Amino acid sequence: MSVVSFKGTREGLSITLGEGTWHEILNELATQLNRPSAQSFFQGARVLLETGERALDALRLEELIALLAQHSMTLTSVSGETRTQEAFDQVRAAMPAPPESLALETRETPAPTASSNEAQAMLIHRTVRSGQTFNYAGTIVIIGDVNPGAEVVAEGDVIVWGKLRGVVHAGAAGNEDAVVGALILAPTQLRIGKQIARAPDDRRARHFPEVARVRDGHIVVEPWIGS
Amino acid sequence: MPGRVITITSGKGGVGKTTATANIGVALARRGQRVACVDADIGLRNLDVVMGLENRIVYDLVDVVEGRARLRQALIKDKRLPELQLLPAAQTRDKSAVNEKQMTKLCDDLKKEFDFVLIDSPAGIERGFKNSIAPADELLIIVTPEVSAVRDADRVIGLVEANEKPSPKLIINRLRPAMVKRGEMMDTADVLEVLAIELIGIVPEDDTIITSTNKGQPVALEDRSAAGAAFTRIARRLLGEDVPFQVFDESPGLLERFARLFRNP
Repeated sequence: MSVVSFKGTREGLSITLGEGTWHEILNELATQLNRPSAQSFFQGARVLLETGERALDALRLEELIALLAQHSMTLTSVSGETRTQEAFDQVRAAMPAPPESLALETRETPAPTASSNEAQAMLIHRTVRSGQTFNYAGTIVIIGDVNPGAEVVAEGDVIVWGKLRGVVHAGAAGNEDAVVGALILAPTQLRIGKQIARAPDDRRARHFPEVARVRDGHIVVEPWIGS
Repeated sequence: MPGRVITITSGKGGVGKTTATANIGVALARRGQRVACVDADIGLRNLDVVMGLENRIVYDLVDVVEGRARLRQALIKDKRLPELQLLPAAQTRDKSAVNEKQMTKLCDDLKKEFDFVLIDSPAGIERGFKNSIAPADELLIIVTPEVSAVRDADRVIGLVEANEKPSPKLIINRLRPAMVKRGEMMDTADVLEVLAIELIGIVPEDDTIITSTNKGQPVALEDRSAAGAAFTRIARRLLGEDVPFQVFDESPGLLERFARLFRNP
């Protein structure tokens, strides 16, 4: 489990804290937020914090809020231990109300919806390596390869401009109209909605783009030609 | 000019991190570079054995970090090459004995005295691994042409990138050209296709590694063995030389030809 993981949801950006010391968590969070590719993605986001079993006191929450504020992000809710939630209520009561303009700005950001074709997409422009996970409430577009051991989970479609060899789940919230497309489609396992398929043990990757979708309750793979 | 801190790591164990560290260190020292090899595998030290310096250890890395010894006291001069020195790991402690900050400080001190600081990372992705990559200016990832090793290397490359380190370079170790030729082993292209990082060397499988490791005489001390020559080429590439990649003789050996004769009469 990584120290910090991110997930886009309808309500905002969900941040889950994993194992590690508080120092490591803050460091990792700062690193992730400072990444040039992430700047625009995180900017202005409303954050839902999942603390798990970790108990955070008011002081640590304030540190975290300050870090988020550097990226114009606001902490809107905390879920986890009762003690942590109480601390959050305490901190929030002591905090000045967020400036109006900022609140308006965040409200205008459309929440990604998997069902609509205009769904917001997350763009990943690099190789997704073993042990890395991407999780998003809309469509995920990857320019690069998805290596074995990597996991991509989207509530919308998953489109890979490269080789897809990891585990992929499209329509993760149950949308079986979602599709998975890749230049070379050779996933370890492919899920759409509730359907699961794995590559036949002897299947050799075909060297043309393919797309997987659910048809009559089964996942079918076909050549990817414009519709 | 301060030296370069290069960490040698792999994720998977047993792929040749320690052997590579010792041999690249030897090859660099033979070319007149001042080299410090640092064993970061605290509790499971090996580098001293491979370099044949085990019986000279008085102080170790943890003694330096905890202030019981000065760096100079703990460093062991190689018995063959004066430019080569070893900072051994502690055997009686574990990885939690040092942290990333202390490792970085230690390497900053070593950088002032040496052209190269080579860190032999422990296997895994936990504390010891993190300690080893924290001070690194450059990283070498070692992989053997096996699916499991490649998978672990991929994971490690991902972690290295997440730490905002420069893109690591790849060493493919223990390649067996005859097996590749028969399609029984991943070849260089297969490995590079997955890992997509720059290749800095290919080391063929070589039985002399086993005897040299047991004797504490790194193969790169001489140019006779295929593996030793390969490590020397890696050292030259680290020094900025443009060394062409060797095409290993992939034609089957005499025995293999006989075997084929009998298989397909």
